[in-house]
Amino acid sequence: FLHRYLLDGQAIETVWTVIPAIILVAIALPSIRLLYLIDEIHNPALTIKVTGHQWYWSYEYSDFDDIQFDSYMIPSNELSTGMYRLLDVDNRMPVPYNQAIRLMITSDDVLHSWAVPSLGIKMDAVPGRLNQSSLLVNMPGVFYGQCSEICGSGHSFMPIVIEAVGESDFLKWLEL
Amino acid sequence: MTGHQIARVLSRQAKAITVQSASAGTVAHHGHHEIRDHVKDKIGKREVVGYGYNGQPTYVDRLDFPFPAIRYKEPNAEIQLLREKEKGDWKKLTTEEKKALYRASFRQTLAEVQAPTGEWKSILGVTLFGMSVAVWFYILMKKYVYPPLPPTMAPEWQEAQLKRMIEQRQNRIEGLASQYDYETQKWKE
Repeated sequence: FLHRYLLDGQAIETVWTVIPAIILVAIALPSIRLLYLIDEIHNPALTIKVTGHQWYWSYEYSDFDDIQFDSYMIPSNELSTGMYRLLDVDNRMPVPYNQAIRLMITSDDVLHSWAVPSLGIKMDAVPGRLNQSSLLVNMPGVFYGQCSEICGSGHSFMPIVIEAVGESDFLKWLEL
Repeated sequence: MTGHQIARVLSRQAKAITVQSASAGTVAHHGHHEIRDHVKDKIGKREVVGYGYNGQPTYVDRLDFPFPAIRYKEPNAEIQLLREKEKGDWKKLTTEEKKALYRASFRQTLAEVQAPTGEWKSILGVTLFGMSVAVWFYILMKKYVYPPLPPTMAPEWQEAQLKRMIEQRQNRIEGLASQYDYETQKWKE
């Protein structure tokens, strides 16, 4: 049993504290730089307001004619065959693809979080606060997400569905 | 408080301390530490012979600290005789005497300490018993507690879901839809 009563070693402890600290700083500097670069200014063509409620999302497209609607999950007993349980909603959020979109996300009551993993987006919906996020979908399709901040008994039952469509289809929808 | 009262409290405290130290003074002093009465009760008449593994006068058979702090057995007349004989030439001790001396100071030989105990069998038995209790508990829960699975778990629904996922081009870059050939309407090889 070697070094059974070894207590400290000032020199080696200093070395193995300072070197990792330097390594961490070397990691942090480019990381912070990237973080700020992600917040690019991209002049979005469209702004959509997302509001979290207990327990549904509402979307406002106030750039044109004050379009506003709620998006509720379809209850499991109302699904038709092939629909996704706990994921499909009555009103999807349509967006034009290949267009930069600004999202303003907030909440009407408690904390929620608006997340769509397949688009790499998550932003907390904080009451009394407007969180901005940017969205750029590069292909048409349907993208699902779920509320990502515990918000009560309906937290697991307020999904998000984005329907990315071509520009002309989006304009057609706007006129409805 | 008056001077008298303070003096009375102080003298009472002083008496208490002297009483404590008086009783402490009756225990044996051994080397660098004192043995208190309550420890003496536990070890009885067994002699303290060293530091042991942590300085406490306890007997433990440990491979990493092979010399316990106290002898295993209390001294008796025979052992005392052998101890005297032990002070002389060891070649004069018979094997039996050596063994007796050893067993007076130690509970097990180091070989006995390391020998397998077969404890693994009872551990395995109890573990397997516990696992079977868990299985019974699962059966109970499944039969009486859990609600039935939702209709979306039925195979027909799962097939319809898969079809819908393909139609929606889900994960078309590297995932599901990337494995489907839309020209031939079949899965890729």
